[in-house]
Amino acid sequence: MDKKVVLRDFSLLIALLLIGGFFSIMSPQFLGARNLAMLMIELSITATLALGMILVILPGHIDLSVGSGVGLVGGIASVLVFQQHWPSPLAMALAAAFGILLWLLMGWVIVRERMPAFIITLGGLLIFKGAFWLVIRNATVPVAPGGTSNLYSLLTTYYLPSWGGALLGLAVFAGLAAAKLRTVARRKEYGFPVEEPELLFLKLFLTGQGILLFVVVMNQFRGIPLTAMVLGLVLLVVTVLTEHTPFGRYLYAIGGNEEAAVISGIPVNRVIIGAYGILGAIVAVTGFMQTAYSGASTTTVGDLMELDAIAACVIGGVSLKGGRGTTLGVIFGALIMAALLNGMTLLAVSPEYKLIARGAVLALAVWMDVRLSRD
Amino acid sequence: MAFDLRPGEIHALCGENGAGKSTLIKLLSGIHPAGTYEGELRVDGKGARFASVADAEAAGIAVIYQELALVPEMTVAENLFLGAEPTFGGLIDWSRVYRDSRVLLERFGLRLDPYARTASLGMGHRQLIEILKALRKESSILILDEPTAALSETETATLLDILRDLRRRGIACVYISHRLDEVFAVADRITVLRDGSSVATLETAHTDKGAALSGERSTACASKDGALMGAVIRHMVGREIKDLFPRRAPAPGPVLLSVRGLAVRGPQGDTALDDISFDVHAGEVVGLGGLMGSGRSELLMHLFGAWGTRLRGGVELGGTPLSGSPGDALRRGLALVTEDRKRYGLVLEQSVGFNLSLSSIAGLTRRGLIDGPREHRASQEIFESLRVKAPGLEARVGSLSGGNQQKVVLGKALLTGPKVIFLDEPTRGIDVGAKLEVYELINRLSEAGKAVVLVSSELPELMGMSDRILMFHEGSVGGSFTRAEATQERLMAAAMGHAAAAG
Repeated sequence: MDKKVVLRDFSLLIALLLIGGFFSIMSPQFLGARNLAMLMIELSITATLALGMILVILPGHIDLSVGSGVGLVGGIASVLVFQQHWPSPLAMALAAAFGILLWLLMGWVIVRERMPAFIITLGGLLIFKGAFWLVIRNATVPVAPGGTSNLYSLLTTYYLPSWGGALLGLAVFAGLAAAKLRTVARRKEYGFPVEEPELLFLKLFLTGQGILLFVVVMNQFRGIPLTAMVLGLVLLVVTVLTEHTPFGRYLYAIGGNEEAAVISGIPVNRVIIGAYGILGAIVAVTGFMQTAYSGASTTTVGDLMELDAIAACVIGGVSLKGGRGTTLGVIFGALIMAALLNGMTLLAVSPEYKLIARGAVLALAVWMDVRLSRD
Repeated sequence: MAFDLRPGEIHALCGENGAGKSTLIKLLSGIHPAGTYEGELRVDGKGARFASVADAEAAGIAVIYQELALVPEMTVAENLFLGAEPTFGGLIDWSRVYRDSRVLLERFGLRLDPYARTASLGMGHRQLIEILKALRKESSILILDEPTAALSETETATLLDILRDLRRRGIACVYISHRLDEVFAVADRITVLRDGSSVATLETAHTDKGAALSGERSTACASKDGALMGAVIRHMVGREIKDLFPRRAPAPGPVLLSVRGLAVRGPQGDTALDDISFDVHAGEVVGLGGLMGSGRSELLMHLFGAWGTRLRGGVELGGTPLSGSPGDALRRGLALVTEDRKRYGLVLEQSVGFNLSLSSIAGLTRRGLIDGPREHRASQEIFESLRVKAPGLEARVGSLSGGNQQKVVLGKALLTGPKVIFLDEPTRGIDVGAKLEVYELINRLSEAGKAVVLVSSELPELMGMSDRILMFHEGSVGGSFTRAEATQERLMAAAMGHAAAAG
C-alpha cells in the first residue's frame, strides 16, 4: 500500500510538471509573472471549492449543485451591492448566510429522508440555476471596480504589498516548520517511525524554497493576491477540521463504515448536515471570488465548477466511496485542473476542445482512483 | 509445514488466528500463485503449480469461503450456474439451468425450490448452495473455511451430514472451524497449525473402519474424544489449559440496569420483543441464550438505542430512564460490542488507533481540537492491556486477525469507561487463546464492579461464564436460571419454548 501512495504522489507531481512543461513550451507567457498571478487566482477559486467538496465526499456523499450555488450566491451579492447599493460586507454576509441555510437544508433532506445526495444535489443544480437567473433577471450585473472601498470587487483586485508578502511567507514557513517539528517530536515519543533527520531537513528546506519562490514570483507582478490568502485560510480551517477535530474523525469513519459509525455513538446525521453547512459557506466564498473574477454576474458564472471541484478531489486521491483523502492532495488536484484550464485559455483553445479536455481529465482521474484503490 | 489429504476423508485444520490456516488455503486455491512460496504442492501425486485460481479449479480444488459469494436477488438455480450458464444458440438455456439444478439439489437430498429467491433462504441453506455450486464443477477436493460460523445448530447438523455423504462419494474435504465439537463430530484427521507450521496430525475415532463406513459417531469413542480434544487444544495454544471457563464471580452489587415489561416493534412493523423484564447488578454477568433470531441481539441493539421502536415498558440505567441514541447510551455508561465486528464494529481501512478512540474521541479534546498526546496515551494503554497482536497503533485494523480485531472492538467499548457492557457473541470466530483472554477480561470487568450482559450461542460458554442465564424464545424470556440450576437440557428446553422444563 505504501508503494502505491508513493506512486500516487509521484504521478501527481509528474503530471503537473508535464502540464507545466507543455504549456511553457507552447506559450512563453505561461510562466510569466502576470499569468502566474492569474493562475494563482484561478487556483484559489477552484481549490477553495474543492476543499468544501472533500467535506461531503469523505463521508461518502457528493454535491453536484455547488456550481449553480456559486452563481446564485455571487449573483445575490452582486444585485444587492451594485443595484440596491448595499454596503458590500453586509450584502456578502447576507448572501453567505443564505447559502449556508440552503446547504443545511439539503443536508437535512439527505439524512432525514434518506435520499441519495446525488439526486438531491442534482435537483439543487437545476433549482439554484433557475433561481440565479431570476435573481439577475437573465441580465449581466457588472461587478464594478470600486476603488478601495468595495470589498466585493477588491476580492480579486487587491494584492498584498511586497513587504507584506515577504512577512506573510515568513510567518507561514515558521508555522509549518513548528507544526512539523512538533509532530516529529511526538511521533518519536510514541515510538512511531519518523523520517531521517536529513530527509526532514530537506523537506523543510524545500518547503522554505517553495514559499520563497512563490513570494518572489508573486511580487514580480503585484504581490500576493487576496484570493490566495482566502485559499490559505480555508485550507487551514479544513485541514484542522479534518485532521484535528472529532468532527473530522467522524467524517472518515462514516465514509469508511457508516453502520460501525452509528454503533460507535457518532451522531451521523448531525455530522453530515454540518458538513453540508460548511460546504455552503465555502460555496458562498467561492461565489464571491468567481463572480468578482468574471467581472460580472452573468448567466454562465459557476457553470461546471462542480465537476472541476470533484475532479480536483479525485485527482488528489480522495476516494469517491468515502473514507479516504487529504486536503493537501486536493490542493494538488486543483492545481492540475487550474493549470490545464489556464494553459488552454492562453493557447486560445476553443471552448469545445476545453470541454472535451476537462471531461477526459475527469475520466482519467476516476480511472486512476479505481486502479489505485484496488487492494 | 506438511499436510496431506486422502481421497474420501475429512481433514480438519485447527489453529489459533494467525496460525497460518488462511495462508495455506490461499496456496491451495491459487490466490497466492506458485513462486511466491517455497516447497512443493502435489495433487494426485503430480507436482502442481497454480498460477491462478482458475488453475486450482481445473485441478479439482474448490474453496468455500466464510463470506458467501451468492447474489441474493437471484434464484437458487441462477446462483448455482452463475458464470457457467449453459447456452443454446448464444442465449441462456434456462430450462436446462432449472432442470440441472433440480437434479443437483435432489442428489444431495435438499428439498429446495430452484426458483426460490436466494435472499429468502436462511444462512444454512445459502451455505449449502455455495457448496453445491462448488460440487457442480466436479471438484474432487473441497476446502471449507468456517462454514458454520453463521449457522444454527440444525443447519450445522445438515451441513455435517452432507459432508459425510461427500466422504462416501470419495471427495476429500479440508474443514476449518473454531468449533472443536464439530471438528470431532466429522473429521477423520485433525492437523493443528501453530505459528505457520503444522505441529501435529491426530487421528480421530472415525478412522476406525466401521465408524468411517457408517459415518456415525459411536458412543464408545466419546471418552477418547475428550482426551483428544485436550490434546488438540494443547497443541493449538502450546500450553496446558486447566479451566476453559475460569469464571470468578464476585458478590453482586446494586442494580445497574433494569428492564421492566419491555415490548419493542421491529423495523418491519412486527412486535419483535415482548414482555421482557430483568435486572443486572454490578459485578454480575448475565448470559442471554436462545436460538438464532430469538431476539437476543435485537434486545441489546434496542437498549443501546440502535434498533426498533419501544411500545411499552421501561429501561433504567443507574436509576434513571434510558432511551435515545447510541451516543446517549455511551455517555450514560453503556457500551455495546456487536456480533458482526466487520459490519458494526470497525472501520477496516483505518488504523488500530483510529478505531480504538472512535467512540471516546469527543472527550479527548482541548479547546475543540483532539488532544494528540492524551489520545495516544489512552489508546496505547488499552492496546497493551488487551495484548492486541499488531505492529502498533498505526497498523491498519483490516490487516489483523479476527481475534485481534475483536480485541480492538472491545478496546473501543472499554475506552468509553462503561458501567454496563453488552457483549454480543464476543468469542465468535476467534481462536481458543483469544477466547480465554476474553473470558479473563469479563472476570476483570465484573471484579471492577461493572455489569456484563453476555450473548452467546455456545451453551458451554454461556453456562461457564454467566452468573445468571436468560433463555430467549421468539422475542420473550423463555426461562431464567441461576448458574447452579442451569443444565444443557433445561436451557435448550427453555430456548425451544417448553416453559414447564424451564422451572
